[in-house]
Amino acid sequence: MAIDKNSAVENARNDLAKRLKIDAADVKEKSVEDSDFPDMALGAAESGEMSGQMITRGWRIKLEAQGQTYEYRADKNQVRAYKFKGKNHRV
Amino acid sequence: MNRNNFFIHLALALVLILVAAFAGQLSRWRKEWKSHIGPVPATDKKKATTAEDVALSETRSFGRPEVLVKFKSGVSQAAIDELTARLHDRVEDRIENVEGLEAIDDLDNADAANVVNEYVQFAEVEYAEPNYDIELEEVEGPLVPVLPHDPQFNDQWALANSGQRGGKQGADISATLAWAKTTGSDKVVVAVLDSGVDYMHEDLVQNMWTRPAGMSPYQDNELGTIDDENGYNAIDSASDPMDENGHGTHCAGIIGAEGENNVGIAGVNWKVQIMPLKFMNAGGFGTTKDAIEAINYVIDRKKAGVNVRVISASWGSTQRSRSLEAVIRKAYENDILFVAAAGNSSVNNDRSPHFPSSYNVPNVVSVAALDRHDQLATFSNYGVKSVAIAAPGVDILSTWLGNAYEEKSGTSMATPVVSGVAALILAEHPRMSVDDLKKKLLASTDPIVALKGKTISGGRINAAKALE
Repeated sequence: MAIDKNSAVENARNDLAKRLKIDAADVKEKSVEDSDFPDMALGAAESGEMSGQMITRGWRIKLEAQGQTYEYRADKNQVRAYKFKGKNHRV
Repeated sequence: MNRNNFFIHLALALVLILVAAFAGQLSRWRKEWKSHIGPVPATDKKKATTAEDVALSETRSFGRPEVLVKFKSGVSQAAIDELTARLHDRVEDRIENVEGLEAIDDLDNADAANVVNEYVQFAEVEYAEPNYDIELEEVEGPLVPVLPHDPQFNDQWALANSGQRGGKQGADISATLAWAKTTGSDKVVVAVLDSGVDYMHEDLVQNMWTRPAGMSPYQDNELGTIDDENGYNAIDSASDPMDENGHGTHCAGIIGAEGENNVGIAGVNWKVQIMPLKFMNAGGFGTTKDAIEAINYVIDRKKAGVNVRVISASWGSTQRSRSLEAVIRKAYENDILFVAAAGNSSVNNDRSPHFPSSYNVPNVVSVAALDRHDQLATFSNYGVKSVAIAAPGVDILSTWLGNAYEEKSGTSMATPVVSGVAALILAEHPRMSVDDLKKKLLASTDPIVALKGKTISGGRINAAKALE
């Protein structure tokens, strides 16, 4: 099922809360921008992952928690944590 | 003038008019009559015109002379006539300006070589030779562009850039000139290693590979028997490589959407066989291991007799895999070209490699993307040592899921353009080795200022040059 912008932000917020072991209410939405990503893994490929090299339209989601900014990337197919503690993760 | 004189003059005038008209008609009749019974035109002079001639024509040859015989100086014409008559030949013509040279027609219609042998045995003959056919040498004139009638062809700037939507006229791969030589061959198989292919798409269905009748389903020692009738799905090692994303279908259409079918678009090849391989899921990403499985499948099918000569790989990552490199090298050893996307991160691959396009394996052709202005696409990776060639890759119209068509951008889209040109070359030169094929591609470019110092070839692929 295709993911829309609101559910992408919600998924990202829940994922970050889980990773930081905090309440989702403590994760603030800093910005959500439409963005073109370099590939179909949204420029956030996991280890051992290959992706189509097609410019992919999606959303760059910036969240704030515990005084830090975290980036998520999403499109209609997926939500990814971008370089969370140095690693990409597919949510 | 009294009334009687008037009638006399009127009658005389009428008589004169009738005489003149009759004389004119007589002249026309005379001309027609002459044309029927006049001299037979030179070209028809050998035609039988009487019953006797018709009868003779059934036993005699009135064909062109078989041989040219040069009789020695001093041999009389009477002696020549006597000799030719003895051989049941006749002198068709004398070449007056060369003494003793006669064009001789063998009335038995013997082979020219035999007639020559007969004549050279006579002491009177200096030499004899067959009346060779002299044909015009085929001089290739300028190619005439071939334009397909596919309704959305005008939006395919990569194939024919007329300056549509503000583009640069001629900033294309000269496909229409290439098509004057070949529009592809259904003997050439191109593996699209991707998210699968919508093999039921109306513009692709005629150009899809299916496992040949008589070829056993794919057998893998560990995976067992896989019914690969429509290709191979490495994700679940099952039979159905149907695309759930669209990316693979887009790439397939660039290589080989059926041309001149009055539907949608035209591929670089109007005719080709596209082998769908699926290792990326509905999201457009997949694992290195599944890519390796799919390449392994291609090699096995090549060994089994499928003429798969090109793998089109519009995917990648920055992670190096020695296993992936090894299987691509194995494809090279099996004469399979591997065309790969250079990547879309605007970086220099010489310093920050992108794989599989950056593997130093002889069959790998790394492809950068150009826009409709002949500029390197803003997103495209490059590398004067590691990126071989560039091709159109921005706003490329091609097939999409569900009989749709969409414009997409990326080195993903540039890659199948080069794969398609490779397939065109193979349509013309089926036995060309993978080494020669790669050399041919790199030598078949139009130099582009924007690519100087950015790619190995420094140019945009030109399909027409690739077929020279």
